[in-house]
Amino acid sequence: MTATVDAPPASRSKVSLSTAIDKSLWLPIAVVLGLGLFFSFETDSFATIRNFTAVSGQAGTLLIVCLGSTFVILMGSIDLSVGAIVLLVGASSVQLLNHTALGNGILPVAAGLGALLGAINGAIYVFGRIPSFVVTLGSLSVFSGIALQILEGRAIQFTLDGFDEIAIGQLIPRLPNIALCGLVIWALVVFIAQRTRFGRYTYLIGGGETVARTAGIPVRRYKIYAFALSGLLAGVGGILAVARLGAAGPSLGQDLLLNSLAAIVVGGTSLAGGVGGPHRTLIGVLIIAILDNGLNLMGVSQYSQMIVKGGVVIAAVLVSRERTPTAVVK
Amino acid sequence: MIQTPPSGPGAVPLLFQAEGLTKQYEVTTVLDRVGFEVPHNKIVSFVGENGAGKSTLFNILSGVVQADAGTMLLHGRPYHPTGYGPAAASGVTRVFQEQSLVGNVPVYENLLLGHDHRFARAGQFIDRKAMIAAAEALVEAAGIDVDVRRRTADYDFSKRQSIEIARACLAPLHLGGIAHPLVLLDEPTSALDRRDEEAFFTLIAKLKLVGSLLFVSHRLTEVLAVSDIIYVLKDGELVERLTPAEADENLLHSLMVGRTRAADYYHERRQRDVADAPIALKVAGLSNHGAYEDIDLEIHAGEVIGIGGLLDSGKSALGKGIAGVDPVTAGTVALGGRSAVRPDIGRFVRQGLGYVPAERLTEGMIAPFSLAWNLSLASGADLFTNAFGLWRRKREVETAARYIKELAIRSGRPEVICTRLSGGNQQKVVLARWLCRDPKVLVLDNPTRGVDAGAKEEIYRLIRNLTDLGVAILLITDELLELVGLSNRILIMQYGRIVAEIAAPADDKPGEREIVAWMLPQGTSDALESYTAAVGLAGHAH
Repeated sequence: MTATVDAPPASRSKVSLSTAIDKSLWLPIAVVLGLGLFFSFETDSFATIRNFTAVSGQAGTLLIVCLGSTFVILMGSIDLSVGAIVLLVGASSVQLLNHTALGNGILPVAAGLGALLGAINGAIYVFGRIPSFVVTLGSLSVFSGIALQILEGRAIQFTLDGFDEIAIGQLIPRLPNIALCGLVIWALVVFIAQRTRFGRYTYLIGGGETVARTAGIPVRRYKIYAFALSGLLAGVGGILAVARLGAAGPSLGQDLLLNSLAAIVVGGTSLAGGVGGPHRTLIGVLIIAILDNGLNLMGVSQYSQMIVKGGVVIAAVLVSRERTPTAVVK
Repeated sequence: MIQTPPSGPGAVPLLFQAEGLTKQYEVTTVLDRVGFEVPHNKIVSFVGENGAGKSTLFNILSGVVQADAGTMLLHGRPYHPTGYGPAAASGVTRVFQEQSLVGNVPVYENLLLGHDHRFARAGQFIDRKAMIAAAEALVEAAGIDVDVRRRTADYDFSKRQSIEIARACLAPLHLGGIAHPLVLLDEPTSALDRRDEEAFFTLIAKLKLVGSLLFVSHRLTEVLAVSDIIYVLKDGELVERLTPAEADENLLHSLMVGRTRAADYYHERRQRDVADAPIALKVAGLSNHGAYEDIDLEIHAGEVIGIGGLLDSGKSALGKGIAGVDPVTAGTVALGGRSAVRPDIGRFVRQGLGYVPAERLTEGMIAPFSLAWNLSLASGADLFTNAFGLWRRKREVETAARYIKELAIRSGRPEVICTRLSGGNQQKVVLARWLCRDPKVLVLDNPTRGVDAGAKEEIYRLIRNLTDLGVAILLITDELLELVGLSNRILIMQYGRIVAEIAAPADDKPGEREIVAWMLPQGTSDALESYTAAVGLAGHAH
């Protein structure tokens, strides 16, 4: 009796973590290829180098912002305020650029401001014991409100010559610096997720918060770290977006709320936490960016695009739920 | 092996009959071809160790889970409930081990839950007066002292248990129009105080006149006193069918564990004399209002302190409090020679404490993650990261491989997902998480719950190995034999307070009866007597 209990068939125990991940990576990659092929046939302008440069420029901000909030979602929480942090950091940065002599020193300032805003989110979430959904929905409104007051409701251009080079310059030909930044940050963040204590704790807290707490992991502290990282990268994304656009306007970061969630979830990071990771978010961002760009080129109206994207998010969650039938979506 | 009485053509049809019930979870068979019969107007008991399959059996009977194979007949008709609702509608009701009452509604709503539609007037409006009257009739029949208009949560645990028992026992009869109910009682008395227990025994005596009851209890005296038929379950199989006249506690016990209790099962000879050993853990005035109050205890290095008590005794909450998992309202804990502080699990883990929770799958391990990840989980701050916060993956895999070998974790590899391991091997992973840290103090809450007999034995040996190394162990357990066999001293808790300290030296272990007597609120034996008097079964009470 005992013997049968403890000896599962060898074939079943052969499935290891790495092959399980590989299997679920297939679908998003297939979607990228499928979308690429579809738009190449449907439009003349999709498969061109000029369009590649345009897409990667547009996707840069999205990628950087998503990479941070992937950690929050991986922990089983959610950060709805990244778009608002981008707007607030962007607005503040433009004013600082125009009224101080910071110059390129604005970069660390913007990152720090973003990290601070994120840490505030995290602290309220953790110490107030309020669902992160509610906290960041609230701060979404607060941050946007402050930003719009700073901008007085209009777009403000920065006057620093050459600052836009950090975003639209091309260190590597045809690849805008903002996309290059995104890729470098991606590599860095994947390393953090896979090889560091912070990364491991992120998975553990997302997979079993009670288990982690019971084993003495400082869950609350690491939750704040995750929100701070999410804010920090939103800040970096914000300043680079401003550099790319030459100005900060009221609509900055507006589409990031849905797009970032969509990209993370489509990439395969589970909203329940503990499954996925930033390495997958790159693919999710590619899907969303190609979808955006391709639909634009095909002349699909903005309103129809909203419908498509919303549907994609829901479909992605449905598909990912099938893979992990036991996970409870919080 | 099991003889069942012949039920010839002239016999009254049985109230309930099951044949070949089988249930498997993953690779574990929890019920293996279980068949039994419940005649009319009888109390049928199931006894067995934790994990023997009693709860699964009740789950199948009450429709909560479905059997993989087997048939059930209720009143001679096929019975395959798809949920608890359908089961209750056909006259099978149950008192669950965990209370299933809604706290913030009046008692009468709980009593009549699921029967609301009988009180609906003109479709939607509910006849409150009729409901209250019906509920009062129920309470009176059950003989419990409860105002049905009061909020359910205002009553203490024992009263709420009585309410739940009254609902399960009487609602089908009074409201459901069921003439011959079958009531499943899962450890119903463990939470009752004396007066409610008397009422309970009177109630089941009354109920026996119309229906039958299935009864699960760890209190073998109670089982022997109330049952007409006793089935013994072991490792998912029915091993014996007895009448109380044929059985006594010792016989039941040896059937349950499948062997007479060998003296070295708990390695009692290896129990250490710790009088001179330094104190490894000192708890002073620890309180958490509502759970436990003013707890003082000391554990020497190499000593095992057992804590026993009923479900509501607060012993599990105390374990969490001492380890610092849940906050306390007052008191301190000191590890080794360090100063006394408010317990905090993060700090204590760094200082050499380990805590194994009772709920393995929700608190003990992240089963969808790999063995290595679960093993290294508590050591991310020191063992498995370097000065830059980088994870030492090679060391992690090596450590996992070492403990897989040392603890004989079957079908274990560092990268195997823990859902694929059996309960016993999962528990070994949780233990290895602390072993790799060379702990000084371990708080173990039911370390062998849901663990098969083989792994259990290995865990006992492991505990002795640890005490040899001078590890102090706080053992919180529901299993009496384990409590007696492993502990140097036994502390008994009732309602959040330590009521007794019983020495348990290797050569002079206290008896189970003595321990149980301390665990129960005073006067339970009186309640049993009042029951036997009520049904005229005086011959069965010893």
